[in-house]
Amino acid sequence: MQNSKRLALFHYWVAFATFLLGIVLGAWQMLMRSPLPAPLDDSAAYYGSVTLHGTAMAYVVTTFFIMGFGYAVQATSLNRPLRGVGAAWVGFAICLAGTVMAVVAIVSGRASVLYTFYPPLLASAWYYGGAFLLIAGSMIWVALMIMNMTQWKRDNPGRPVPLATFAIAATAILWAWAASGVLIELAGILLPRAFGWSDLIDAALGRTLFSVTLHAIVYFWLMPAYIAFYTLVPQVAGGRLYSDTMGRLTFIMFLVFSLPVGMHHLLADPEHGSGFKFLQSALTFLVALPTLLTVFSICASLEVAGRVRGGRGLLGWIGALPWKEPMMLAVGLSLVMLGLGGFGGLINMSFAMNSMIHNTSWVTAHFHLIFGGAVVIMYFAIAYEMWPRITGKPLRSKPLARSQLWLWFWGMLITTVPWHVAGLMGQPRRVATFDYSDPLIAPMAPLVIVSVVGGLMLLASAILLIVVLFRSHFGERAAQEPMQYALAVNPPARVPASLNGFGLWNAIVLVLMVVAYGYPIGQFFFLKQHSVPAVEVTTQTSLEGRP
Amino acid sequence: MERDQEAGDLHNPWPRFSWWFIVAVVVVSAVLGFVVLGRYQQNAPDLDLWASICRAVGIPSESRAAGAPQPPLRTPTRIAWTASTLEQIASGNAKKGAVVALNCVACHGEREGTSPLFPTLAGMDANVVYKQLDDFRSGKRQSGVMSAIATTLSPQDSADVAAYLAGRGDGLPSIAGEPFPAAGRSLRQTDPAIRLVFAGDPGRGIPPCGACHGPGGHKLGAPTLNGQHAAYLESQLTAFAQGSRQNDINEQMRVIAEQLTADEVHAIALFYSGRSASRPVQTSDSATTQAHRPAGS
Repeated sequence: MQNSKRLALFHYWVAFATFLLGIVLGAWQMLMRSPLPAPLDDSAAYYGSVTLHGTAMAYVVTTFFIMGFGYAVQATSLNRPLRGVGAAWVGFAICLAGTVMAVVAIVSGRASVLYTFYPPLLASAWYYGGAFLLIAGSMIWVALMIMNMTQWKRDNPGRPVPLATFAIAATAILWAWAASGVLIELAGILLPRAFGWSDLIDAALGRTLFSVTLHAIVYFWLMPAYIAFYTLVPQVAGGRLYSDTMGRLTFIMFLVFSLPVGMHHLLADPEHGSGFKFLQSALTFLVALPTLLTVFSICASLEVAGRVRGGRGLLGWIGALPWKEPMMLAVGLSLVMLGLGGFGGLINMSFAMNSMIHNTSWVTAHFHLIFGGAVVIMYFAIAYEMWPRITGKPLRSKPLARSQLWLWFWGMLITTVPWHVAGLMGQPRRVATFDYSDPLIAPMAPLVIVSVVGGLMLLASAILLIVVLFRSHFGERAAQEPMQYALAVNPPARVPASLNGFGLWNAIVLVLMVVAYGYPIGQFFFLKQHSVPAVEVTTQTSLEGRP
Repeated sequence: MERDQEAGDLHNPWPRFSWWFIVAVVVVSAVLGFVVLGRYQQNAPDLDLWASICRAVGIPSESRAAGAPQPPLRTPTRIAWTASTLEQIASGNAKKGAVVALNCVACHGEREGTSPLFPTLAGMDANVVYKQLDDFRSGKRQSGVMSAIATTLSPQDSADVAAYLAGRGDGLPSIAGEPFPAAGRSLRQTDPAIRLVFAGDPGRGIPPCGACHGPGGHKLGAPTLNGQHAAYLESQLTAFAQGSRQNDINEQMRVIAEQLTADEVHAIALFYSGRSASRPVQTSDSATTQAHRPAGS
């Protein structure tokens, strides 16, 4: 992976540096919306900060991390140099330029649109231009992931693509499909209005297009965690993957079922009929299949490992697992958070139950638990696993890494559990200040204060992460064993073509997308009058220009 | 396994099973979503099959009361902030406006309103002046004197006088360089004016005044209030509350003003009128005084 090491390292550092910035903002936001006094007690700063936190965490950290991860995984799992490194650096530069543009627009107070791309809220063209470059630049990565896999297949006819390569290619294809929604929205609706070429803005079509991205992007973020579950965890545990086919099937199902389901984010939207909302909700429930399949295969793989390590009895294998390894510990903590967050998610996507928690803190708590918790903790573990391989220097140190993971786990639970409860009590999301003297709101105050404590723990954990990575980066060089991916219990000699490529699955996705989105998007072109004046937040007072 | 090397061939088990599975899932969900749900869960038992499908698709069918009498449409203003309106305002000629403005000074003064009931216009945002003149002209805002004057002005005259007034640097303080007060910007403030101006009252659905009128924020069409006459502000808030003034585009000022108590209206008016350093408000309340301290002090 020689030629991809620097590439991966640069992507990772951009991701984690942005991550630290985002965490600082997040902790301040928790303080700001609590009854406790906060520095810079100002609502405009809060909304700017929410925009920056969301943009940084949801678009910048994830995209850079996953791109770096993809380059590293393809180079090591195919065991040959990455093709197209030059193009990869060009993509990196475009994404970085886009990030800088968007961040400058937000910090100068011209883009407090809460990171959602929901018109009629309208930000400065710099923000949308930056977001467009970031997302479009990552399409170079998508092309490289697909190209490297197909070239390997051509050079190795008849051989199964390694599972890790197959999975990262699935991630790339998923991202290409998912990003199409927001890219079309940016290019067709937001940027033209931001440049002032039109007066009105098609808010409903914009929301619908964004919903194409909105759910699948979550699975794009989730994929590295699942790739680690299947290909790294059994190896670290000292065992083998229970089933290679199940792994392939899982990634295929994520690709197919995470895309035609985004309208469950629009359950309260008046522009769409209940039939399509129901159809997409029903398809959403199928996303539970790959997750359940994964929980089963990972537990089975870990049991294989535990028994190889001498674990006996019904549950004795659990204790025999190498819990001192950061990756192992992270999986355990991640699955706990995935379980809790998953049950919350079933409520969000249920047509009727959703109306109870729509637009409340419940939603924010849910995605922090499942993404910030279950997924991001795996990002940490992946970084700890890959850092020695990329830098050639050992991790300093594993105990420190373990305490970072524990701190993150408890911090996330302490933050999000009371946050869920406050949401059930009716606390709206995206609100800067609450009047805690109001008898309706007063009971939420203790919960919010507990969340603040959790938020500060998360901040401490993030700082610890940077300390560990930094210390390792500047440590002494030592020989590192190369990256190894888990073998299956029965390694496949040949696999059906359907499980070795994506032609069939792309065709199925296309059909499902046309069924699920054809009419809901098409109706705007012939049925409804839906354009409204934009609400510009491009001229608000700057965050910087404060005395 | 050998025969399964073609992913596009429906005789192979993987493609065949996958397509059947997808078709089955879509058909079952569609029947449930478009027929069963549309027919039985929409509180409309008299819908036939076709009507319920239309309804589930999102096409309003004949169930809409088409012949029912509609209340007469009443628009609060003729102005919409479209690009053409903004261009018209931006084309205003301040020199020509100075001539038109000779009509204004008798009441609105050179630098500030000659009576506390006449608003100061020098330094007022051009968009605001243009919109109010148009509202007076179209009768959307009622005033005997202003309606009579506004009807003699063309839209271009309005743009000219708006440009002239906006360019007067000696009146209301400019909104752009407006400093933030050093403290007092949250719900925890006890002073009602500071609380309402900077934090609003979420419990009553009142947004902060400052979010649109400054300090701290500015929305298109909302006048800057800093330095305006207190008596004028009070009279306009009262007019909105009583519904005698109705030219706020989204009815926002009527909704807000209706909920303010007389004391709050008074406090807000005093707060804005006394904010500029040349006319500090005489009050013993320390929080208010603190908020008036120039930024950076």
